[in-house]
Amino acid sequence: MKKSSFLLLITVLCLSVVLAACSNNSGNSNSNSSNKSNSENTSNESSLSNTAKEDNEAKPVKLSILAWNNEKEMKPVIDGFTEKYPHITFDFQFAPPVTDYIAKLQTMLLSDTAPDIFIIAAENRNEIIDGGYALDLTDEPFMKVMLDSNKPMLSKDGRTYAFTQTGWAGGLFYNKELFQQAGITQLPETWDEFIEACLKLKEAGIIPLYDRMHDITIIHSAMFGSNVLSKDPTFDEKLFKGETTFAEGWTEVLTMWKEGLIDNKILTPDMIGLTSDQVLNEFSLGNVAMFPGGPWNIPTIEQTNPDLQFEIMPIPGKEPGNKYYNGAPGVGFAINSKTKNKDEAMLFLEYMTTHEGLKQFEEGTGGIITVHGYDSTVHPAYEPAYRDGLIAGKIYLPMVSWDRHQEALRNQFLVSIQDIAVNKITPEEATASLDNKLKEMENK
Amino acid sequence: MIKFVRQLQFQLFLLPILAIYSLFTIYPLIKSFFLSFTNFDGYTKIYDFVGLKNYARIFVDDAITSAITYTLFFTFGKAILVTILAIPLALILDQKFLTRNIQRAIFFFPSIPSGLLLAYIWGFILAPIGSGILNTVLREVFNMGPQPWLSDPLLAKLSTIVVATWAVTGWHAVLYLAFLQSIPKDYYEAASIDGANRLQQIRFITIPLLAPAMTVSVMLLLTGGLKVFEIPFALTKGGPGYETYSITQVIVQRGISETQYGLASAMSFVFFLIVLTIAIFQVTVMQRREQDLQ
Repeated sequence: MKKSSFLLLITVLCLSVVLAACSNNSGNSNSNSSNKSNSENTSNESSLSNTAKEDNEAKPVKLSILAWNNEKEMKPVIDGFTEKYPHITFDFQFAPPVTDYIAKLQTMLLSDTAPDIFIIAAENRNEIIDGGYALDLTDEPFMKVMLDSNKPMLSKDGRTYAFTQTGWAGGLFYNKELFQQAGITQLPETWDEFIEACLKLKEAGIIPLYDRMHDITIIHSAMFGSNVLSKDPTFDEKLFKGETTFAEGWTEVLTMWKEGLIDNKILTPDMIGLTSDQVLNEFSLGNVAMFPGGPWNIPTIEQTNPDLQFEIMPIPGKEPGNKYYNGAPGVGFAINSKTKNKDEAMLFLEYMTTHEGLKQFEEGTGGIITVHGYDSTVHPAYEPAYRDGLIAGKIYLPMVSWDRHQEALRNQFLVSIQDIAVNKITPEEATASLDNKLKEMENK
Repeated sequence: MIKFVRQLQFQLFLLPILAIYSLFTIYPLIKSFFLSFTNFDGYTKIYDFVGLKNYARIFVDDAITSAITYTLFFTFGKAILVTILAIPLALILDQKFLTRNIQRAIFFFPSIPSGLLLAYIWGFILAPIGSGILNTVLREVFNMGPQPWLSDPLLAKLSTIVVATWAVTGWHAVLYLAFLQSIPKDYYEAASIDGANRLQQIRFITIPLLAPAMTVSVMLLLTGGLKVFEIPFALTKGGPGYETYSITQVIVQRGISETQYGLASAMSFVFFLIVLTIAIFQVTVMQRREQDLQ
């Protein structure tokens, strides 16, 4: 008797755990129904008015979205939208950028469980557009506000498949006080001056720079921009047409990087194991003078250390007057070509192009709005990047500019620079491996 | 006839789990095998048959050669280290002392959270800069400079082995503990009457009778080690360079990030054959050893 009642208890507990998990997943609809039942309990009148209100509105629609900003960041714009269109609720899902998001979206697209709205990034735009997964948005009225320079990344053959309202630029954040301490009075105008500044910081006992070397780093992109693109803006086009090679464009950049930063031990191999949170923390606490970052780091820095005096600066080229940031148009919101809620999804994109939608998106995500007719106020530490980078067009990101096989090439690049950093290969071998990778991917 | 019908009743109970197993394990295995002969890119539903081209490409991939070396090093390192540590641990936990049950729970605990979570936390402890936890301790106590635990090629490999060992030693100790309970106490009594001391008892009674436990434990360690993904990935993301890339990471990298799904399917099929061979070989050898010892 005792044994069977114990078993019964266990069974009931297990079932209730399963039910609890299920009810969490249903989220919105459950809370709506529980609201309804609560109001029924309190008074008949309020429950009548609730049901009456729902009858007057349009049929309730649930829009699913896989965002790459988390729920907190998207809250202002989603709340604003659901206030304006109360019959539309959201099934909100999130995956962090970049690789995790792309992998998750890919699984969903292949299994036909993809949400109504998802993100197209530079890294997956070829696959999504070629696979016909996104609706053609070119002729929609709300696309007028999109900047023409933001369109190519999300377009093919003149048709645009996603809407983006942001752009971003990344550079080197530097600690003004530490710079003063080391006796650096003006920002470097050439690459050699930049290396000199780093060495001055080292002599003053300050760690000049933390770079995790976990991607095509901000420094690499900006160096390529300032040294190669400024002379030949069509280099990447030629590269993918087979008219030039990685060796021709990148060997000098990688050699400068190696000789300037690796051989002078400004960047050391032990930095490879750092996490981005650690680097951010060290900078905020004043333990390192510079780190490569972007506007998304600013809120965390200010929260960690509100007294820090910092600003962003570009990477200078070999010759003066060529300072570049890394950067690109922001990722775009696309509509699933198989969506059953096309009109509502369009309403959401349209809402995001309105002034209040833009404002709420800016407020939540901290992104910099780059559309017609909207002036972003940026944080003073970020001004130089906004002025001299984004608006002046001196930004570069290989992933946007490389026509295809971006992920494979990016991974090869990352492995190669780590190998250069531990002195395993030379810059020439690195660019040779990139050319080989491109050939391998083209022949597959 | 009646016997057959009765047997059938029992077989029917297996049907649900057989259905699930087929759906989630057998079917993907077969589909993957077919995809390994194509150039499927993981996105579009149109792909062509390319024959054995993917298999030929496997062996010229330098990521794979680095990954095979590392994965084998990791697997055997972890298996040896865990076995050497888990058996004495099981013997200690078998003794009667006051906090025995709590100690067993504490040692068992690291095997419960996901490997990813453990590796992230160890990532903070092993952070290569001066302010990392381990480096701070070394600096304060031994006055040592910061060590690049996760960025030096050799230290990164060793760090992954140490973290993986830490995660599963308790679990394997409990496995050995279970087998220890099944050794009859009479053997020990007889041995002590014959004048054997504790160490001799362990050497001549406990270890040979633990042979079945060792077979199970080592098989799990070997197959688990060969299939490892999350611990090296979360600790070092495969860096520096290709030094700590596991075979599974190469497969995921090639298949998903580089959209070479066909190539990755070919790699995973070859990998499946390798693990199968090692597992069969190991179990046969150790079962023969079991029989010899008993």
